[in-house]
Amino acid sequence: MSVSRSDILSLVQTQLGEILEKSPSDIIEDATFADLGADSLALIELVEALEESLAKESEGFHIDDEDLEDLTSVRLAVDYVAAKLQAA
Amino acid sequence: MGGDLAPGEIVTGARRAVDELGLHVVLVGPPELIGDPQGLEVVPCTEVIAMDDDPGASVRKKKDSSLVRAAELVRDGQASAMVSAGNTGATMASALFRMGRLPGVVRPCIATPLPNPGRAPTVMADAGANTECTPEMLVQFAQMASAFSRTRYGIERPSVALLANGEEPTKGSPAGKEAFKLLTALDSINFVGNVEGRDLIPSPVDVVITDGFTGNVALKTLEGSLKFILKMLLEVIGTNEDTRAAGDVLFPHLLPLAGQLSPDTYGGAMLLGLDGICIISHGSSNATAIMNALKQGAELANAGVVDTLRTTIRPDQTA
Repeated sequence: MSVSRSDILSLVQTQLGEILEKSPSDIIEDATFADLGADSLALIELVEALEESLAKESEGFHIDDEDLEDLTSVRLAVDYVAAKLQAA
Repeated sequence: MGGDLAPGEIVTGARRAVDELGLHVVLVGPPELIGDPQGLEVVPCTEVIAMDDDPGASVRKKKDSSLVRAAELVRDGQASAMVSAGNTGATMASALFRMGRLPGVVRPCIATPLPNPGRAPTVMADAGANTECTPEMLVQFAQMASAFSRTRYGIERPSVALLANGEEPTKGSPAGKEAFKLLTALDSINFVGNVEGRDLIPSPVDVVITDGFTGNVALKTLEGSLKFILKMLLEVIGTNEDTRAAGDVLFPHLLPLAGQLSPDTYGGAMLLGLDGICIISHGSSNATAIMNALKQGAELANAGVVDTLRTTIRPDQTA
């Protein structure tokens, strides 16, 4: 895997920042998506953006819809993506 | 290719848009469900999103659905606008995910025209896309709906009001009261204060702003009330020979008014804030409504409404 955990965090901060019209620095790791004001559509936008970006690193990279409800914070999402890429 | 009356009324409405308005219309859907396309071009797909499917999940799972494919046609420049009478949430999700938001837009909103007999309609936003809104979202809806009113109806400086339970600044939801302060301080918006539900038809203002929950309830209440009044009026007119004779005199004068008040006349509502045109029609749309929705989509494309919105909402100009 060539993408580090800090790369993934940075990617999530940038992409979620664009979706929520916030500065990436406002997307802190401990924040829950609810705290950030990210509703279900915003989270799906994030998932689609992550899949598109990370497909270059891991062909067919996919986040399972069934897993989404457990990803309630930035930290959990970053850990999930890192584990997925590690297993690929 | 969604809607309660699909495919028959949808295909007929599309055909009428070609024959009566000279538009170029393509149908998107599974050919076996469309049936007879009445000579129209069909962009085939294999899936459909049902009216009760979860909007976000269905758009992710059903990538070869008619809604997703239609949004992709607009995104790729192969269509100027999409019209759907299908699942409203999924229509919004497919347009949002495929066309994307304009820079600076937090959430798209539904802009519904409310009839004002004798003059341009009032634009109500949001009519159902966002059930919960922040004050900043309401301000952005005001900016977008003002630009829409100016582009669509030629109103140079549309008057804008918040929908509330009283005209005083202290009335309204917590988000509405905060938005009142923000809008008052915004020179680019001709904000005139609050209006109440009784001021929706006819409305003293050009634009009414509210959250999607309130807007949708208000819209459906108006539509239900108008239908009920019309039904009662027809029953009274049919009471006896004298009232029927009176009806014969009144009908030629009432019919144009009924046309102005009918949702079919407008055909649908535009989603504001996306990088493309998406018209959301009623689930119960008939052929006339679909034809008028297609007409609206074409007119909005020709008027360059998306570019107007793009320059209206810039990241450095949002509240």
